[in-house]
Amino acid sequence: MAQETKVRESTGTDANGHTAVGQRVTRLDGAAKVTGKTVYADDMKMPGMLHTSVLYAPHAHARIKSLDTAKARAVPGVHAVITAADLPDYNRKDSNRTGLIFPDKEVLFFGQPVAAVLSEDPHVAAEAVELIEAEFEPLPAVLDAVAAMEKDSPLVRDPLHDVDRSEERGHVSVETKETEQEGEPSNIASSAPFERGDVAAGFAEADIVIERTWRSAMVHQSYIEPHATIADYDISGELSVWTSTQAPFYIRDELAQAFGIPENRIRITATEVGGGFGGKIYLTELMVAALAIAVKRPVKYIMSRKDDMLAATPAPFAHIELKTGMKRDGTLTALQARLIYDSGAFPGAPMLPGCMLIGGYYRCDNIDIKGYEVLTNKVSVGALRAPGAHNATFAIESHMDIMAKELGLDPLEMRLKNAVAEGDLMPNGQTYPAIGLRECLEAIADSDVWRRRREVEATPNRGIGLAVGGWLGGLQPASAIVCLNPDGTLNVTVGSADITGTNTSFQQITAEVLNVPLDMVNVETGDTKTAPYAGMSAGSKTVYTVGRAVKAAAEDLKQQMFELAMKRLEVEPEDMEVANCQVQVKGAPDRAMTFKRFGKLSTNFGAPFPVIVGRGSIAARKTAPGFTAQAADVEVDPDTGDVTLHGYAIAQDAGFAINPLSVEGQMQGGASQGIGIALWEEMRYDEDGRLLNPNLLDYRLPTSRDLPPIETIIVEVPSEEGPFGARIVGEPSIVAGPAAIGNAIDSAVGARQHEVPITPERLLRSMGKL
Amino acid sequence: MRTFEYKAPETIDEAVSLLKEAGGSARPLAGGTDLVVQMKERATRFPYPATIVSLDRVSELRGVDFSETDGLRIGAGATMTDVATHPAVRERYAALAEGAGVVGSLQTMNMATIGGNVCNAAPSADTVPPLLVYDAKAVIVGPNGRRTLPIAEFFRGPGETALESDELLAELRLPVPATGTGAAYQRNTPRKQMDIAVVGVAVALTLSGDAIEHARVALGAVAPTPLRAMSAEAALQGQPASEETFAKAAEAAAQDSTPITDIRASADYRRHLVKVMTARLLAEAANRAKGTA
Repeated sequence: MAQETKVRESTGTDANGHTAVGQRVTRLDGAAKVTGKTVYADDMKMPGMLHTSVLYAPHAHARIKSLDTAKARAVPGVHAVITAADLPDYNRKDSNRTGLIFPDKEVLFFGQPVAAVLSEDPHVAAEAVELIEAEFEPLPAVLDAVAAMEKDSPLVRDPLHDVDRSEERGHVSVETKETEQEGEPSNIASSAPFERGDVAAGFAEADIVIERTWRSAMVHQSYIEPHATIADYDISGELSVWTSTQAPFYIRDELAQAFGIPENRIRITATEVGGGFGGKIYLTELMVAALAIAVKRPVKYIMSRKDDMLAATPAPFAHIELKTGMKRDGTLTALQARLIYDSGAFPGAPMLPGCMLIGGYYRCDNIDIKGYEVLTNKVSVGALRAPGAHNATFAIESHMDIMAKELGLDPLEMRLKNAVAEGDLMPNGQTYPAIGLRECLEAIADSDVWRRRREVEATPNRGIGLAVGGWLGGLQPASAIVCLNPDGTLNVTVGSADITGTNTSFQQITAEVLNVPLDMVNVETGDTKTAPYAGMSAGSKTVYTVGRAVKAAAEDLKQQMFELAMKRLEVEPEDMEVANCQVQVKGAPDRAMTFKRFGKLSTNFGAPFPVIVGRGSIAARKTAPGFTAQAADVEVDPDTGDVTLHGYAIAQDAGFAINPLSVEGQMQGGASQGIGIALWEEMRYDEDGRLLNPNLLDYRLPTSRDLPPIETIIVEVPSEEGPFGARIVGEPSIVAGPAAIGNAIDSAVGARQHEVPITPERLLRSMGKL
Repeated sequence: MRTFEYKAPETIDEAVSLLKEAGGSARPLAGGTDLVVQMKERATRFPYPATIVSLDRVSELRGVDFSETDGLRIGAGATMTDVATHPAVRERYAALAEGAGVVGSLQTMNMATIGGNVCNAAPSADTVPPLLVYDAKAVIVGPNGRRTLPIAEFFRGPGETALESDELLAELRLPVPATGTGAAYQRNTPRKQMDIAVVGVAVALTLSGDAIEHARVALGAVAPTPLRAMSAEAALQGQPASEETFAKAAEAAAQDSTPITDIRASADYRRHLVKVMTARLLAEAANRAKGTA
């Protein structure tokens, strides 16, 4: 996508002498977005392009008896109707959501794609799809993940085999003893134990033991732009896909395997992503590519909001049983948990990160955590910003509050006493690198919201709640290229989709290394045929990994210029520096060669220098977990159950905020989503497994008037490997909301909330008023 | 969306004859904020229309006028914004301004019409409880001329009205509220905007000193149609405007309601809200009545 580079000046130099990083910079893509110029996948048209309308399964679980497409095919303007029988050959993997385009025997969830109609007119396609005569024989639908674990439960589906977990690994790196479903067929897709010490002894030692069950609803990422994909397969065997994705290279690799096409003959272009939040990794591309291969014409598939809510990859319902023990002095003595994540009809639920976080915030010698990923006949789940984290955090952070209250301890002091720091153990036995959980707690203590606690809590029906959150982050190798142009400007090319302003951070990093104004640097995301490799923009790792590659590429380019300048400047590279868009001799800035001169000398006819191209390529081995502490100020209407938020504060460790404006935006955005999950968001199914609210009226996201001002405090505990000490930023902010609000409500009206969303009705019932 | 014929008449008579010609296969289009969404989602309560008769160019349907003798006339084509911002509506019919002022977003309010809100006949329509407490009358035009119906008789069920397929709602007429009248509308929604009433309550009280001379209580989203809470009104009539009276009336209003459990709320919760909101609104209306007396 072409982007305009706006001239922008740095606002100054910070305490560390930085001129570009650490500055508050507006986004490279900002002007195009706010003026409506940005081109999204749905804006793109190809000659001869066909539109797709999909037939979605009308049952949660049913045998396909027959599919008669004659009437649909007969509609004037219909180009083709494609069912499982009409698909081109592909490497089908029935146990994977993205390994199976259309089922031929059995549908496993309400909304599963069964067939597609193609037409040049999208309205014709929509009309014809209703004429497909599909006969189903309903089978027992398994909808409750907890009941589905019972031995006598009906099975959701055939036993799993060859489960591909590569997508999950993109979001978080967890080393563990996870076991896939084996032995007797069951609905448990996988399970994992995390054990340390002796929990029985730990509980015996405790002065109080709290045991509760916590439930959090299935929620949807609710990006503004639903899934949107165009594919084209030409007669020479080249496959091109333009798609709204966070993961172009991942899709390339998957499609190469699916169709047996070499990776160098597939071009995936990540179009501008109108919101992804983990939900735009790989979903519709296989089907659209197969349709394009089948009809040899470009095929476009744009999900409607309803399609997307029925048939994308929302975030799971979780049922979490937690038992904790604490001594009177606030020492956590034992933690036992059973976490059940509802994965829907295919594996992929983020159970592992939930286990890692429920036992990962506080030091505890005795833990016994078991996670289960359970199949049901619902749409299968995917990632949503820190997948699995808010569910587990709601449980442990509510417990911490209950225990503080019972023991008469200050909730913040008690958390500080137990909070993990560098060298402490994670549930899987690894140790934490430098992290900023304690620093976040200290910072939130200084927020306006927390400081008015006494005053607020003296007001009837008002309360303040606190919770921490965190995310471990993903790791993947990354690369970048920086090219010097003849006029001395620089082009950076990366392969990572820019979903959060990462290209703007890369611009800052390049400008910092080469000591040039920001407008000298342009950054583009290339497609998979032109860009150097980058992992998926997921797991909060893009600036942390690709940013390092960009920094290395800029340093490489600088070094090349230094070496080329040796003859003319008559000094060694160690005695050179970059400043004022030139390479100059330290202490003698008039002995210099401008970037422009390097540009000309490396590109003109007969020029003496080779083309100057900086290359950065890194392996990422060390995680840089990001933590947050958040405080909510709420008021409860004790007669209606309505909750009003008067304020919200978030402190988050960014390691080093390369663009504080962008970091604050991430903090506010994630906090808003956490608040949404706490109070409104819930996908609701009826007893037959049909989604009741596939729209944004009855699936409620908070609006501007529902959200309070969100106070942001950036904490900076540098990471070891990240560029300039930056660590993961995108995800932690969503994690603490449900617990912080649940704790605030308890503080306001003395009613503990065990289920999110906390609807007015649930709240009133918990208060015994209904 | 499927194909349909589109007609754009300029007068009410033309519109009515187009409807008559179509013999039931046409739908009038006002702001489109309900109809177009229903057509896109194939969720119409009626057969998918073969013809759309746009009322956009029918200027006779526009306008909001008030006079001390005739009261308020609102053209069915007046938008929510026209109604909610009209000075006379705000001053004399505050409950209606409140109802029209909460429909959807600002963009919705600029498109949606009061006639559309009434004719869509959703049990939760925000303008209807206010129209009920102001004793509005619906002026209906059909092939055989005009007829007038009390608004309470206009609704027959969810999405169903007294209109024949070749009739149009032309205007709403509201008498001048008596001196000493205070009224208010409120709805409960999970969100603070962009939402649909879980319960809507409108009340109007006319006070003489401290005594209630005249009372109206109307409820939305708690029955197949918006309805007047008759036993609540009876509990108020002639009584002192006191907290006790309001509590009794609120209890009666909850008894008058027949809510269902659906995705938005349970019947229990709705009934509970009717009671809480009616008591609160009666106190508010009494305050307003005293302010105007």
